[in-house]
Formats: sequence, structure tokens, C-alpha cells
Amino acid sequence: MPWFEHGDLKLEVDEDGFIQDPSVWNEDVAKALATTEDVNDMTEDHWKLVNYLRNYYLEFGIAPMIRKLCKETGYPLKKIYELFPSGPAKGACKVAGLPKPTGCV
Amino acid sequence: MPAIKERSHKAQKVLERFEKKLNRQIVGSLVACVHCGMCTQSCHYVLANPGDPTYAPAYKGDQIRKIFKRHFDWTGRVLPFWVKAKSVYTDEQLEELKDVVFGKCTNCRRCTINCPMGVDLATFNRMARGLLVSVGVMPEGVAVVSKDQWELGNQMGVLKEDYIDTLEWMEEEMQMELDDPQAKIPIDKKDCDVYYSINPREVKYDPRTIADAAKIFYAAKENWTMASEGWDMTNFGLFSGDDDLGGSVAVRLYEKVEELNARKLVISECGHGYRSTRCEGQNWGKKDVNFTMESSVITMLDYVKSGRIQIDAGKNDKIYTYHDSCNFARSCGMYEEPRELLKLVVNDFREMYPNRSENYCCTGGGGAMSMSEYSQRRLKSAKVKADQLKATGANVVVTSCHNCVDGLNDLIKHYKLGMEVTQLVNLVAEALVLEPRVAPEEIPAAPEAVPGADGLKGKKILVTDDEPDFLTFISTVLEDNEAEVIKASSGDEALKLAESEQPDLITLDLSMPGRSGIEVFETLRKNSKTQNIPVCIITGRPEMRKLIYDRPVPPPEGYVDKPADEDDIVLNIRKVLKAGHEKS
Repeated sequence: MPWFEHGDLKLEVDEDGFIQDPSVWNEDVAKALATTEDVNDMTEDHWKLVNYLRNYYLEFGIAPMIRKLCKETGYPLKKIYELFPSGPAKGACKVAGLPKPTGCV
Repeated sequence: MPAIKERSHKAQKVLERFEKKLNRQIVGSLVACVHCGMCTQSCHYVLANPGDPTYAPAYKGDQIRKIFKRHFDWTGRVLPFWVKAKSVYTDEQLEELKDVVFGKCTNCRRCTINCPMGVDLATFNRMARGLLVSVGVMPEGVAVVSKDQWELGNQMGVLKEDYIDTLEWMEEEMQMELDDPQAKIPIDKKDCDVYYSINPREVKYDPRTIADAAKIFYAAKENWTMASEGWDMTNFGLFSGDDDLGGSVAVRLYEKVEELNARKLVISECGHGYRSTRCEGQNWGKKDVNFTMESSVITMLDYVKSGRIQIDAGKNDKIYTYHDSCNFARSCGMYEEPRELLKLVVNDFREMYPNRSENYCCTGGGGAMSMSEYSQRRLKSAKVKADQLKATGANVVVTSCHNCVDGLNDLIKHYKLGMEVTQLVNLVAEALVLEPRVAPEEIPAAPEAVPGADGLKGKKILVTDDEPDFLTFISTVLEDNEAEVIKASSGDEALKLAESEQPDLITLDLSMPGRSGIEVFETLRKNSKTQNIPVCIITGRPEMRKLIYDRPVPPPEGYVDKPADEDDIVLNIRKVLKAGHEKS
């Protein structure tokens, strides 16, 4: 497995850069992962989204539908793509420390 | 006599099932290979890894072929060492085979097209995948997705209530956007003309394509529906080689269409979904259907051409190129329709080379996007595709396949190409001109920018071509559109006239005797008296496009391939002139 290094951080990731062990996730990890997604400044909006994804994953073991994400955070679809240019599946889930979503994504 | 080797349970099962999978096409492909090497240069894995022979299609095929020879072909039974026949014994050997059939081939079939013996590697590679899947040897991603498709009826485990909730959400958004409470996304409506099926990623992660399709159906006043179940037209059976899964998924969809008594099943822009549903599903599922199936590309093209929806291509104002998906194009022959539609909804289209059946894979095909373990390998081999994309000079890649969207996005990010990826449904929706719902009292103004309405009056155009016929052709076309034409039949003449006449635009042929078009182009760009004159390249040598974009001067403003028709030429020239006008 490859390693992702950023400053003092060293994390085991899969070949697509998703972290392997969700329990090592914290805010610094999120910030570091965000840099790989062209997000250099994690704003309050970013955090709201990331925290929702993270909590949903811890509870249900999968990534939520985009519908749930928009409903719960109150953000329109367009905004999600502005916050994470690679989209919710690849961008936001990666920063939130979820494993890579399965299927055609 | 050597001791008889023990065979693992899985290896034994693979051998037993191998024989049942053999049909004429597979046997033909297994025996016909003469190792001529034609396939080697056609595979993107080889091109990106020239030093590694294990990527060669013939080599990859041999890993399956040797088992076939050892057990089912008389040559291998009699002279195993002579024909390199070998059996499989251990689970490790099955893992090695997995690495080849899943990790070193995307089943894109580019080698098949280029094989003089007609060897269809992808077909028996898929068969080998199926054999391994039947004994549980497969990448984890494929296993997860297949399980969801078996158990939940769609490959992303989307629950019915979430799916319906999302459709309702898209419906609300559309009603707000169009300010029409009658704009609907009907669910389970009976006796419709169109039953629209989608890829689960659309509903789970990016429903914008659903909203766009709904808007197009609304504009076309289509009698359509989506289904509450049996809406997933993707099919991991194609990737995993599991015909039972393939059949089960396809039949679930067919039966729902029949239940709702729909006239036509329309499949959204997904390459493998289209192939599985339209071309393979009936065989896998052993079921005939009594309705038509078509790609949404055909549906949309029909709307635009018949005038059922109105389009303003000017709304899509970037530079577009088209990527042929392996399943949609190479395997199902959908080459011209998407291009025809694309040219109707955008103004600036640039062909990609090679294209159509010879196009390179997005590198994420065959389910590769869900096999993370091979991602680095995939991205390395994507160099070929990255170079090809770059050479188009476009800033948006259009493709009719969700898998290609992801594969391309991934490699664009990796190689920092800064391009966007989009689909025809998005472009058609963007270009839609909707009739005003409430008829206004005053007479509506004539629509702007009707092609052909505003001529090239007052424009001085320098036409450069060494072929007299083509020179006359272009000149006549332009003069018919009221332009003032100056003709040059060589590069030197063009340079002289460009300086003295100061035309509004120059058209330039690339292959001319004497000074080549590329040289002329560079000279024009470097001369302060001519550097601001827009140039439209018109060439029959599209492979030279890359050379033009590689020059250390600003790229040409327009690009038309020969043979070019009248509309192409006028459209491109008008666009270049308009862009120049807006700039100044």
C-alpha cells in the first residue's frame, strides 16, 4: 500500500489516495487530504460537509446519497461542486476519511 | 514419471467450468493467434510501458491460451512443451491470472480491431474473469458492486425511498428553474413512449444529469417515465464476466419496461450499460423483448433534428472534443450519431486523433475504476490518452459514457491537463431554448444567430490552398456568403498577400509544396503586421494538428478537417470572426 505524506503526517492510503484506517482521521488529516483535492483552505462550509459525511459513515458504514448531503447541510448541489471540484464521491469523501466509494465513480 | 501434482479446489473448478464457456468465437480467438505482434502497438498499456512485454495483448492472451491448449486442444495434449501448454494448480496461479485479466486489460478491444486474425482478446479475457469470479478470485471492488447489484438491484446499493426522494428533489428544482409546476419527473407511469433508465451514480452522487434529461423531455413534450424499480441499466456482469448476473440484471430491467407497457427503453449515456442492456442482455438473460431500446443520444438527436426542441449552440461557448467510449463506439458502432448531435449543440468542435474505432481507451474501462489496487498502473498507462487529449486543443472533452467521465477526470487531474469532462445530455440541456410558457402580447423578436442569416458581408478573407479545386470550392462558398475573397495557391503568396491586403481572416491548408502550412502559420504569427489576423486551418492531414499546437506561437483560432462541407466552413469562419470581434 502507498503512503501519503504531508508535513509530519504519514498515512497509509489506497492507490487512489483514500485513507485505509478511518480511525486515524482528525482535522489535521482532513486538511492534509484536502490539499490533494485542490482545496487549500478548509472553510466553515467545507467542515460542515466533511463532518456530516464522516458522521454518516460512522453510523451507517456507507457514504450518504447526495440528496441527504444537500438536505442535511442545506447546500444546493452546485455548491457541493464548488466546495469540492472532484465532486462529493471522490473529493468530499476522501477528505472526510471515507473509503473510496464503490461502483462507477 | 513425475509425480502427479495436486490441484487446489478452486483451480479444479476453474478447469471444469472452462469447457462450458467455450464457444466458437472464444475457441477461434484462442487458436488463431499467430503472435504477429500487430496488437502490441494498439494497446495503451504497451505504449505507456514499452519495456514490459507482459502488457502485450498476445502475451496476456497466452496466459489463458496455455490452459486451453493443455486441456482442450489436441496440440497441447500431445505436445504440451511445443505449444507452451500449461495447466493451473494453485490458488497463487489463479491470483496471477487475476492480475492479468483484471489488472492489465480494460477489455477495450482496440487490439481486436487491429488483429489480422480476428482474435477477440476482450471476449476470452472476459470469459477468464468470469471463471475466476465463479471461484471468488476477483478484485474487492468488483465483488462489492456485484453483490449490491445481485441483492439490492442496483450497483450502488441505493434504497428505493432514497431514489424516489432524489427524483422528487430534482423535480422540485426543475419546477423552480422553469417556473412551471407542471414540469414533472413521472414515476411508474404506464403506457409511456419513453422509459428512461439511468446509472446509479447519477442518483447517488450527481443527479444533475437526471435534471438535465428531465428538462429535455419537458421541452420535447415527451410522454415519458422513470421506474421505481428496475431503473439501473448498468451491468457489472459485463465487467466481471458473470453471465448469470448479467442476465439477471438485464431481465429485471426488461420486465419492468414490460410491466409499465412502455414503447421504448431509453438508456442514458453509459457505454457499458448501453452495450449490456441493448446488445448483450437478451442473450445472457435468454429473453426476447417486444419494445425498442435506444441510447439517449439517438433520442436527443432526433429531438433536435426534427425541431422538437430548439437549440442555441452559442450557449456552449467553449472548445469541445469527443471521446469514443469503447463499449458505446467500438463494440456498438455509435460513432457518428454523438458527433452529429455534438456539432448541433456546440459551435467549436475539434476532432480527436485517432478516433472512432481507433480511439484509445479512457483507461478506466472494464470496471477498472472500481479496482483501486490497479490505479497507479492505470494512471501510468493513461499517458497515451493524456497526450491525445492535449493535442486536440480543446478545453472540454465530451463523452457518452459515465465510466469514461471518471476515467478521463482522473487522468486529467493526474496529468494536470486542466480540461473539463461533460456529456451530451448536459450540453443539450444547456443549449435548450424554451418557448415562453405564457404567450406574450407583443410579437416575439426573431431569434438571434440563426445559422446562415448573417452573411460574411464586408469581410475580406484570404484563402490559401494548393489544390485548385479546393481553392475554388472554398472561395465559392465564401463568396456565396458575401465575403470578399483573395486567393493564394502557395505559402509564399499567402504571406505576401496577408501583409499587403490585411484580410479579416486567413484560411490555411497545411500540406502544400514548398513552404508548409505550419511554417507559413508560424511566420504569420511572428510578423507584427500579420500576427493579429485570425487563422482558420483547413486540412486533410488531421494528424498534423499536434504539430501546429506545439509551435511556440498562439494556436490557430479555427480548425476544419477536409473533406469539409459548406456548413462546416461557414460556421467555423463566422465563429472565428465573431470571437475576434468580441475580443477587440
